[in-house]
Amino acid sequence: MIEILVQSLEGSTLNIWILSTAWFWPSLEIFHFIGLSLLLGSMLIIDIRLAGFVRQMNIMATHRLLPLAGVGFFINLTTGMLFLIGDPARYAVNIGFQIKMLLIIIAGLNALWFAVKISPILIDWDPYGDTPSAAKISAYVSLSAWFGILLLGRLIPYVGTG
Amino acid sequence: MFEWLEYSILSIWVGESLWGYPIMLSFHVVGLAIVVGVFSVYNFRVLGLFESLEFVAFVDFFKLAWFGLILNTSSGFALFSSQATIFITNIPFLVKISAISLGSILAFLIQSRLRVHANDWDSGVNRPTSKDFWFARTSIFLWASAIFGGRLIAYYF
Repeated sequence: MIEILVQSLEGSTLNIWILSTAWFWPSLEIFHFIGLSLLLGSMLIIDIRLAGFVRQMNIMATHRLLPLAGVGFFINLTTGMLFLIGDPARYAVNIGFQIKMLLIIIAGLNALWFAVKISPILIDWDPYGDTPSAAKISAYVSLSAWFGILLLGRLIPYVGTG
Repeated sequence: MFEWLEYSILSIWVGESLWGYPIMLSFHVVGLAIVVGVFSVYNFRVLGLFESLEFVAFVDFFKLAWFGLILNTSSGFALFSSQATIFITNIPFLVKISAISLGSILAFLIQSRLRVHANDWDSGVNRPTSKDFWFARTSIFLWASAIFGGRLIAYYF
């Protein structure tokens, strides 16, 4: 499956344009790093509060940061897909990239679990108090996944193929 | 001086061992996410976004950001030492270091104002002034410039 993906991307118009446009790759890198800062910064604040720390902050107010996390994620999804299209043979077979994608799915499922199961019960808790243990678990899963994603992304050039 | 640095035990480990450089890069990117992430959210808050987030809570988050900055300074020094003579003449690197130095001084000033005014801002006694807005915009510009310079280092040797 990975081979089919690589073959279909290599030689595509976008692939050739990305590779032949010298300024484009470094520009993508700059936006990918700005995106990760927005995403990780928002998630750090949301999850630290969700884990029960920094109780001067109203836990319901931290939801306001979700659009910023969304903007960061969208920037990184777009630039990330352009990296993959630009150099599919490098990324698709890389074990670091593959585990990174798996962790993004885990982070997404955790966010879904939070939205469906935990967010509704948070209303009954003191907005300036401790959080239920299910919320804490979700916060730690989220932090571990996002920082794992960050580290694996950085290590792609240093790890081998899967 | 930079040649001497390149021959120190630290720089040889970072530059020549299999995992020295990637380990330091990992610390560096974690620190970057914490520093730029926390300061960005705060700057957007000052500029009027996420209005229900309490200013007083950022006193704690700034401590985390300073921890990130220490992580970045240490790992950055280790990375720098491995190729000191090359980095010191690299224009994007110099842009990055200047932006980080100014950004850190500004973050200290922003934190001082936060500590004095957080309770008043939260209770609505008064609001951030044009000085705070100017600090916030400049801070966003400086951290973005640091990323801009940092990402271009590898392309301008």
